[in-house]
Amino acid sequence: MPGTRDGIVYGPAALRSAARGDRIVWAMHRAALANGIIPVVPAVAVADAYRTEARVDRLEELLAGSEVEDLRDPSARRAGELAARADTSDLVAVAVAEAASRHNAAVVASRQNALRGAAGLLGHELVLYAV
Amino acid sequence: MIKRSVSLADDVAKAVEAAALEDGVSFSSWLSAAAERQLRVRQGLRGVAAWETEAGTLTAEEIAAGEALLARLLSGVSGMASRVRRR
Repeated sequence: MPGTRDGIVYGPAALRSAARGDRIVWAMHRAALANGIIPVVPAVAVADAYRTEARVDRLEELLAGSEVEDLRDPSARRAGELAARADTSDLVAVAVAEAASRHNAAVVASRQNALRGAAGLLGHELVLYAV
Repeated sequence: MIKRSVSLADDVAKAVEAAALEDGVSFSSWLSAAAERQLRVRQGLRGVAAWETEAGTLTAEEIAAGEALLARLLSGVSGMASRVRRR
C-alpha cells in the first residue's frame, strides 16, 4: 500500500464534480480546509475546467480555498518531458501527477491511464479518489 | 511591504524561529506565509459556505463522510465515487 500523503491535488474532474454539486467532494474539501490542508490545483487543470463548465461561480467558490499553481519553468519543461516519456499528449494529467508527486499528495480526478502512467514514471504511487 | 510590531508568546516565537531556520527563510517570511495559509483556509471555508447557501448545508453525515474520505486518502488508500449526490 502507498505511504501516507500530506495533501490533496485536484484534477479537472474534481473541479467539474464540485461545479456539478457533488456533495462528497465539497464535504472532503471542507474537511481538508478544516484540517489546515489547502488543496493544490495545477493551472492547466483550472483552464480545462473553465473550458467545460458553465457554473464558474461554483468553481470560484472551490478555488477560493485552493492553491492554483502556475506552470512555469522548470516545471513546464519537466511536464513536457514527462508527457513524452509517458507517450501522452494529456498535459493536464501529467501536470496533476507531477504536482501530486512533488507535494506527496493524494489526487482527486477521473481515472486516467495518463495520470497513472506519469505517476509511475515519477516513481510516485498514485493515491486516487476517482470521481 | 508593511512593517508591523507583533507580540508572540515566548514558546511560539522560539518554535517559529526554529521552523524558519529549518525551512531556510526569515522569521518574517515564515510568519507571513503562515498568515497567508490561514487566510486562504478562511477564504476557502467562506467559499464552502457560499456553495451551501445555494446547494443546502452539508449534513452531519455528509461532513463525517468527507472527513472519512480525506482520512483514507491521506493514509494512502485509493477509492472511487460510488454514488454521486448532487444538488
